[in-house]
Amino acid sequence: MIQKKVCMVGVQGTGKTSMVKRFVHSLFSEKYHSTVGVKIDRKVVPVDGAEVTLLLWDIEGRSEESEVPTSYTRGAHAVLYVADGTRRTTFEQLSSLRELVRSTVGDVPSLVALNKADLAEEWALTPSDEASLAGAGVHHVRTSAKSGAGVEDAFHWLAKEVLRAGAARS
Amino acid sequence: MPEQRAPASAAEPPPDVSGLEGPVEQLTEVRELLFGAERRQIEELRRRLDTVELSPEELAEQLPRAVAMRSARDRDLAVALAPTIERALGESVRRNPRELATAIFPVLGPAIRTAIAEAMAGLVQAINRSVEHSVSPRGLRWRIEGWRTGVPFAQVVIKHTLVYRVEQVFLVHAETGLLLAHVPEQRGDDANLVTGMLTAIRDFVSDSFQSKDTGELRTFSVGDVCVLAEPGPQGYVAAVVRGQYSPALVTKLQETLETIHVRWHDALGTFDGDTAPFEGTRPLLDDCLETVLADDARTGRRGIARFAWVLPVALLLLAIGLPVLRANQRWRRAVAAVDAEPGIVLVHSERNWGRWSFSGLRDPLARDPAAVLAGLGVDTTTVDGRWEPFTSTEPPLVLARAGRVLAPPPTVALRLARDTLVAEGVASEPWIARAASIGPALPGVSFVALGGVSPDLPAELAALRRDAEARRVLFALGSATLDSAARAVIATFAATYERLRREAGARGFDVALSLAGRTDASGGEATNLDLSRRRVDAVRDALLTLGVRTIAGAEALSSSKPLPASGAADRARVNRSVSFSIEARLTPRGR
Repeated sequence: MIQKKVCMVGVQGTGKTSMVKRFVHSLFSEKYHSTVGVKIDRKVVPVDGAEVTLLLWDIEGRSEESEVPTSYTRGAHAVLYVADGTRRTTFEQLSSLRELVRSTVGDVPSLVALNKADLAEEWALTPSDEASLAGAGVHHVRTSAKSGAGVEDAFHWLAKEVLRAGAARS
Repeated sequence: MPEQRAPASAAEPPPDVSGLEGPVEQLTEVRELLFGAERRQIEELRRRLDTVELSPEELAEQLPRAVAMRSARDRDLAVALAPTIERALGESVRRNPRELATAIFPVLGPAIRTAIAEAMAGLVQAINRSVEHSVSPRGLRWRIEGWRTGVPFAQVVIKHTLVYRVEQVFLVHAETGLLLAHVPEQRGDDANLVTGMLTAIRDFVSDSFQSKDTGELRTFSVGDVCVLAEPGPQGYVAAVVRGQYSPALVTKLQETLETIHVRWHDALGTFDGDTAPFEGTRPLLDDCLETVLADDARTGRRGIARFAWVLPVALLLLAIGLPVLRANQRWRRAVAAVDAEPGIVLVHSERNWGRWSFSGLRDPLARDPAAVLAGLGVDTTTVDGRWEPFTSTEPPLVLARAGRVLAPPPTVALRLARDTLVAEGVASEPWIARAASIGPALPGVSFVALGGVSPDLPAELAALRRDAEARRVLFALGSATLDSAARAVIATFAATYERLRREAGARGFDVALSLAGRTDASGGEATNLDLSRRRVDAVRDALLTLGVRTIAGAEALSSSKPLPASGAADRARVNRSVSFSIEARLTPRGR
């Protein structure tokens, strides 16, 4: 069995938990976020005829400071950053958050999910914002926890990238 | 093309070539030389095409390889053959069961023995448990509990006898928190989620309580379930334990983790999510799954308890044995002492219900055997003695008898040299004469040697000598000057001494005078020696002046060899003196 540790990082209220809720196998309740600061779920993704088990470390988002406990991100094979497309500040905080996480886990495959894509009227990001991500070589995908759009794609992309990175290392 | 095949066909009659016999034969020969081999191969291929079935020879050649190839590929061959083999075995058993029984006998014997042994062991254990738990008060109590709570009796027994059970063991990668291996397997569905969360909780505790320096979260418990996490540099082992685990389990987990770190060092270091290399750790983790029942845990104590009777029994034996041992020792010592006592011949000795009895011969002069036993601490009220009198010729008894019969004066010492009684010292002439006459008649004495006994002065002269010797010439403190009192004493002594010398001389005795000068204990040794010298010289000079000529010696003793006196002051006074000593010896003519 191939297992990979994936950290989900993002400031509070970006919908990380809601995003994965319908797509993953959960054993623990939401209260783990407020007590331990992390909740772990599992997502099995088929990649090229094989299966990769992603252990998703859904790390509690902090509202004010961009802080992520390093002990939780340590050893991660991939990182899924989540921003709220309707709140521009959550997008702006991404870069400092990414720097922080990269300082612990290094250059591992990562993906930015711009969540709440279903709220088109309230969308606060401009096409240039997304272009800036692409320009910086950061893969991103629009997701909607409500409709489920983009979520499976995000996991598939991550799983493939992680396997590719692992194969490249070995 | 039949036209071309026609000449080769054997069915058609050959063309008339009688006129061309020579050239046709040559042609056939050439054809055979050029195409013979190919023609035969074509014949063989044609035959195979005509008969598509393999010959038995060919089948025998190909069958083993074909079976091996197909078995390697899938199970179809096994499935296909199974009914046939089953039928064949059935047929074989029906026809000749002995053949098959003989063939599988080597396998069957050990298998049956193992099965029987396991069944018997299980049965014995079950009987033991049932008996123990059913008939004991505890078992009855558990039955009542089962009946009251509606829980089956077997479960109640397990609940009460379970010390601990290791229900699950996880091997977790330290850095990623990913599950490497988990036993038992069937419960591993959510194991990777559990280990992830377990890792997160351990990190959470470390972060929250700054315990990085002091250690990590190693154990936590919920009700009677406890999780033990033994950390290692690259991975940790977590065990879910129900009940009260023993320290031995912690050691076992540590040892398992160490073994895994050694054997899977590289795999742990390069772990990238693939758990396949860690399948081999399962047997090690399986070893940690153990169930310890109270009965098992007690086994060790039972082992010791089995010998618990030793101490009281040993103490009892000691309590009984020690006095017996001591009594035996005392008895042996008593018998030896009585037997060794001079003048006693022990003939019989015995112990009977606490009373000791001795019998034999005893010289009346020998020690009382009761006194001998009393000297050894024996209670003589429990001792009976029956002794017949006899005369012993043992030296101590002979000597004692001589002393009793001869009654020598205190100035005479007796000793025995073999059978000769030797007397030495000073004695009166009548005693010497008596000893010479009755001494040899004593039992054990053949001769009496009296050469060492000097005859003493007659009684009246001895009194005169005692009177003279009792006088002291006293001096003042630190002085060697003769005062008037001293001169008076010297004068009186000189008169007495001269009278003694004259009268003793008339009886054949020579007398000689010795002087001893002394000081008290005060003053230095050199001073005292000088003072005592001057004192004795002063007295000697005075005696010489008075006409006393037979002075054999004048000794200065300082404060050594002091004269006895009562009280310190009197002793000092008496010792500031010169004393007299008179020796009388029978002259050769007196003898």
